[in-house]
Amino acid sequence: MLRHLFTLIWNRKRANLLLISEVFFSFVVLFGVGAVLITAAKNYLAPHGFNYEQVWRLEVRAGQNLKMPRAELDDVLRQVKALPGVRTVALTSGNTPFIFNTNNSVFEYEGKKSPQANVYDADDHYGEAMQLHLREGRWFAPSDDGSNHRPVVISQDLRESMFGNGPALGKIFTWENPGKGPAKPEDEFLVTGVVDAVRMESDFSAAIPSVWKRLIPYDTTHWETANVLVRVAPGSGGELQEKIARTVAGVTRQWTSQVRVMDNERLHRRLYTLVPVVGLCIMGLFLIINVALGLFGVLWYNISQRRAEIGLRRAMGATGAGIGWQFLGEMMVVTTFGVLLGTLLAAQFPLLNAFDLPAQPYLLAIGAAAAAVYFITALCAWQPSRLAAAIQPAVALREE
Amino acid sequence: MENLLATSSHTRSQPLNGATDALPVLRLTNIEKVYQTKTIETVALNQVNLTINRGEFVSVMGPSGCGKSTLLSLMGLLDEPTRGTIEVDGRTVQSYSDRELANLRNLKIGFVFQSYHLINDLSVVDNVEVPLLYRKGMGGKERRQRALDALDKVGLSARTGHFPGQLSGGQRQRVAIARALAGGPEIILADEPTGNLDSVMGEEIMDLLLGLNRQDGVTIVMVTHDEQQALKTQRVVRFFDGSQVG
Repeated sequence: MLRHLFTLIWNRKRANLLLISEVFFSFVVLFGVGAVLITAAKNYLAPHGFNYEQVWRLEVRAGQNLKMPRAELDDVLRQVKALPGVRTVALTSGNTPFIFNTNNSVFEYEGKKSPQANVYDADDHYGEAMQLHLREGRWFAPSDDGSNHRPVVISQDLRESMFGNGPALGKIFTWENPGKGPAKPEDEFLVTGVVDAVRMESDFSAAIPSVWKRLIPYDTTHWETANVLVRVAPGSGGELQEKIARTVAGVTRQWTSQVRVMDNERLHRRLYTLVPVVGLCIMGLFLIINVALGLFGVLWYNISQRRAEIGLRRAMGATGAGIGWQFLGEMMVVTTFGVLLGTLLAAQFPLLNAFDLPAQPYLLAIGAAAAAVYFITALCAWQPSRLAAAIQPAVALREE
Repeated sequence: MENLLATSSHTRSQPLNGATDALPVLRLTNIEKVYQTKTIETVALNQVNLTINRGEFVSVMGPSGCGKSTLLSLMGLLDEPTRGTIEVDGRTVQSYSDRELANLRNLKIGFVFQSYHLINDLSVVDNVEVPLLYRKGMGGKERRQRALDALDKVGLSARTGHFPGQLSGGQRQRVAIARALAGGPEIILADEPTGNLDSVMGEEIMDLLLGLNRQDGVTIVMVTHDEQQALKTQRVVRFFDGSQVG
């Protein structure tokens, strides 16, 4: 019977072209949405690689066209750290986790280029403040003061791409295309530690290879804005935030400060990331509903056009239920043609390594989209098939 | 039911070679068929008693609307009578389930329709295979062979790959007869099989049916308006306003 159904659908391919196209486009949309959702869910379930809870971001501004001397900034850090409820403070660059500020670059080690990596400035307390998990080596320390190269800590994924299975600690790498002539010591990066891969963009983003460059103490850089990560004791709230603001003002009244809770910034970023995803899902859903209604209508029409055939098949020995299953089976065959075409297209994504994603989410999305399309078409075909099953053969044959 | 199907299978494999042994293959007793709507009650058949013997060729005649097609639907187990009993091979089929009736139709009855009822999107041989698709335990090769044999019998061996749209009316009706024959039925119910054909083609089809009856012993009940054709059959049953008048 299956061969018969395939023959029938194949011979009716022109008439079924619309249905096959609808199934194909539904599959493609579901595959796209599925790939996005599966990737987001997979990322969401992966660890962040650091602990964002009980961490605040203190932003200190010197004022327009003003710079802050490092000595006074260090004074602020010391005084904030001394406040009751503050566990540790760490000076860092503006690209703190979950905010819309990134700094990335490509590095090179013995002619081998790294993937695009996030670059963070971090002082000796950053690792402790973010509770990064060290896999190898150590975080920066005062003992690095005398180093001839810029000490860096790198993430595990960057380590794998640059050094493979070989040792990473003590290796020196540079920016991509360091230029001719001897490199400056601050542009040569000495690996002192390796931490777990981190996901600092959003809850739904994948881990990005990362480099933390050591902020050298007592340098002469004068910043307009300083970003300070403050790890606080559990239960700390607005009172401590006010104290921190007063402390900053106490060092110099010209400076302004703002304290933000990192967890709130995470939730804000999550919302920002979710909105387009939800929008995509709603659009996909409307499309699928439209397709489902279209399928339903076409099937209904098909059955009304094929009443004589139904009567004939009943006369030849088909049961009512058999007729219902035949129509359902035909729809499944049509779906198979659409799904096969869609799979041909979807398979190009993992084969071409599109969007630098691994093959797994794509393969899962292909499976999920196929299952969903079969479910939707079966659902749409169910009622018309029941209608076909209920047609009385004598009546159907008489109508002809 | 089991015995009935077993008997029919045996019969198919051993054709009767034209012998009319006067055993009733189909018996209708006190049949009434009433179509009821909210406002109108239409009596399509009234107190019909009819026996069809094995190997007979019976014509059913009467004016339009006299109940001929209704009678054929009842004989073909496509419809249920309002009152009365239908027996196939001596067994009353009223209590049969949809599945049992479908099996019985598939094994014992072949249908030929005035408008052929071929599936236009299937080739000739695929059309002939249709009744065999519903036969349990029959493989694809056997189906194909039986379909080809049936087409050979009706002289259409050279047209197996054609589609109905590529055939003449007479050829289409031959395909329909081959389809009815493919399952090796005991009875062929033909509803005005020459009604859509010109006289030459009508004669060809009539000769084919007569040959099947005389040489292969197939029982045939044919509804017709053509007196000349009816006279070629063994018995003519006449209807008027739902009642048997002769």
